[in-house]
Amino acid sequence: MKYMFSNYRPKNSFDEYFKDNVNSAREILIPLLSSLDNMGLEELNRNHSAAKKLLLRHGATFRLNDTGLKGTERILPFDPLPRIISKDDWVTLEKGLKQRLEAIDLFLDDIYNSQNIINDGIIPRELIESSDGWRPQMIGFKPPLNKWCQISGLDLIRDRKGDWHVLEDNLRCPSGVAYFLENRLVMKNIFPNLFSGRIVKPIDEYPSYLLKTLQELAVWTDTPKIVLLTPGIFNSAYFEHSYLAQEMGIQLVQGHDLVCNDDYVYLKTTSGLKRVDVIYRRIDDDFLDPLNFRKDSCLGVSGLLDVFKAGHVALANAPGTGIADDKMIYSFVPRMIKYYLNEEIIIKNVETYICHYQKDREYVLENLPKLVVKSVAEAGGYGMLIGPHSTSSEIEEFANKIRKNPRNFIAQPTLELSTVPSLCNGELYPCHVDLRPYILRGRDTWVSPGGLTRVALKKGSLVVNSSQGGGCKDTWVVGK
Amino acid sequence: MLLSRVAESLYWINRYLERAENISRFVEVSEAMSLDCPPGSAEPWLPLIDASSDRESFDKRFPEKKPDDVINFLIRDRLNPNSIISCIQMARENARQIRDVMTTEMWEQINILYWNMQEGEAIWNKPRQEQLSEIRRECQLFYGITDATLSKDLAWRFSILGRLIERADKTSRILDVKYYLLLPSLNELGGVLDELQWIALLRSAGAYQMFRKAEQNSIKPNSVARFLLLDPIFPRSVRYCLDGISNTLKMIESSPPPENPTELECMRGLLKAKWSYIRIEDIIDDGLHEAIDSLQIDLNKLNDLIQEKYFIN
Repeated sequence: MKYMFSNYRPKNSFDEYFKDNVNSAREILIPLLSSLDNMGLEELNRNHSAAKKLLLRHGATFRLNDTGLKGTERILPFDPLPRIISKDDWVTLEKGLKQRLEAIDLFLDDIYNSQNIINDGIIPRELIESSDGWRPQMIGFKPPLNKWCQISGLDLIRDRKGDWHVLEDNLRCPSGVAYFLENRLVMKNIFPNLFSGRIVKPIDEYPSYLLKTLQELAVWTDTPKIVLLTPGIFNSAYFEHSYLAQEMGIQLVQGHDLVCNDDYVYLKTTSGLKRVDVIYRRIDDDFLDPLNFRKDSCLGVSGLLDVFKAGHVALANAPGTGIADDKMIYSFVPRMIKYYLNEEIIIKNVETYICHYQKDREYVLENLPKLVVKSVAEAGGYGMLIGPHSTSSEIEEFANKIRKNPRNFIAQPTLELSTVPSLCNGELYPCHVDLRPYILRGRDTWVSPGGLTRVALKKGSLVVNSSQGGGCKDTWVVGK
Repeated sequence: MLLSRVAESLYWINRYLERAENISRFVEVSEAMSLDCPPGSAEPWLPLIDASSDRESFDKRFPEKKPDDVINFLIRDRLNPNSIISCIQMARENARQIRDVMTTEMWEQINILYWNMQEGEAIWNKPRQEQLSEIRRECQLFYGITDATLSKDLAWRFSILGRLIERADKTSRILDVKYYLLLPSLNELGGVLDELQWIALLRSAGAYQMFRKAEQNSIKPNSVARFLLLDPIFPRSVRYCLDGISNTLKMIESSPPPENPTELECMRGLLKAKWSYIRIEDIIDDGLHEAIDSLQIDLNKLNDLIQEKYFIN
């Protein structure tokens, strides 16, 4: 440990390997650190290149543009030092995630049906109906099993003290699960020695649970025909779409492979049209059905929403779930948990100021240099202001945006995400991480052990999004 | 059950790889042959471009027509849609579309082949003959992996269909090039140069050894033509490919043929019958080039009928 980490200096934030310096490793890390030390930095770097080649061979790539030349298709940067979570921590997190999703599903069902939460004055109607994720087309609808979010991925972070918080709920088409699975595969292939002497909770069951979850939605048949609907090879998550379809043995289809006819959805095959029961769609609501949503979409299937509402096909996730991952609605989740489940929230929210409210807005406008401001509907780390890293003119520009359209913004205190040692240009460096566990809800709820750890691999960067230079690492849930 | 789009992709992946493989063999053999040719003999290069019907676009871009231009045009030119690199890229694009249907091994093979062909990869530092034989081996590895890992279902059958149609087309083109373009007049038949070219022709079609095994006599034009067009058991002969195409189409259309056969059904049967029961002497008397020309027209028509019946709906 002295050898490999002798030049490693944890930052001020919570370091998940070391308590304060390299001589006081967290207890749960000790076996890994000794395996790493046996390996040495040189071999770690050598194997790191092998790992990258393996990812390229598997085709775990995303495409930046469409010229077909080398360099436009990249692997997601992969970091070989795993992030470790203790079983005890995990048990709590798992409970907290189940609790949160349970409440969110009850909320969705309520909001599109009886709207008790509005009528009881917990959430104002105008906040719901002004959200980008609100789909009035879904009013009065009950999806199969009364569940709206079959597949979700929540973003968790640890603060300066090491306490866990939910940063975001991703309830539409959360991506990254293929990297979560692929990272483990690469670790087992290239770094088998690091596993020795430890029990890392396996994650391979994900595709089986996903398939089971999708099958359960077809309440009308015992032999459902399931497909995965992708926007196609130019989508940056296309690798994931084909990966999951293959792992589940279901067909990967594009909009033009499907057709709606007489209230049912059919696949166009070499032997004619075949009925489809369940669609795991990786296309946003807006593009799903040009007849009912955006008219200019050529990705979806005309009339799909009508078939869905007629109960002749299941969609995962149901259209309309975006209302619950609006970054402002996020701030109401603790109240939802209280309201629907009468429980206290297990994994806390990050403190959030709602610019829609005058009092919050005034505070935010006065304290912009200290805050992170986010646009409620944007993802991928776009549309945000990181106060401490911004110039005064950027801050002034954002202040104007907030004044112009306050409903569109929330603000949170700047968080120092926890760090994990990672390889930066051949050396070990503390890099900020978050965690995206995946939650599947069919008849039962299943939470992936661990999740995708995204890491800000640029020295000093806080942004973990892959669209902005972030990478990922394997995440281990281990017993003592 | 197979998606029309997926069937079409499988068909084209195999056509493209078969095409890439054939071009690599063409170029490799021609390059070796050019070393044997006496100075001033027929330029072995340009017919390669004629064989893929790309002469016009080549002449426009490379008026000097240097051997290196030909070779680069056929191997590495991204602007030539029939170059090896373009074929492999298109095969991989198709494969990406349907990688959930292929086995992991198939996908990885095609993916590795694609990445190996990019700028700066080690393959381009090797001697050209090595490059070409490596490309060919990688393509053949893909067929082997397909046959060893993919269930023998519709997906496999459409793969075979693409492979065989392209192969029949290419074998016949290679023969045509020799017969029609390398020799200005039939009087030159039987010369020394001629024998070298016949050997090169057989090698280009990957048929030299099997021809030697089948025909113990000296290499005569008629016997080469017979072998490449009509041999019943050589896997690259036109007749063998047409048999395979016919059987595969029958398997795809599992129901018994209707009383009034479809156009595709007619085409399949007529082609198979014609090439199973014709004698080489009759072909040559009537004109080999004409026979090959009509075969290629028939193959294109077959392609269109398959397209219409299975890929568009």
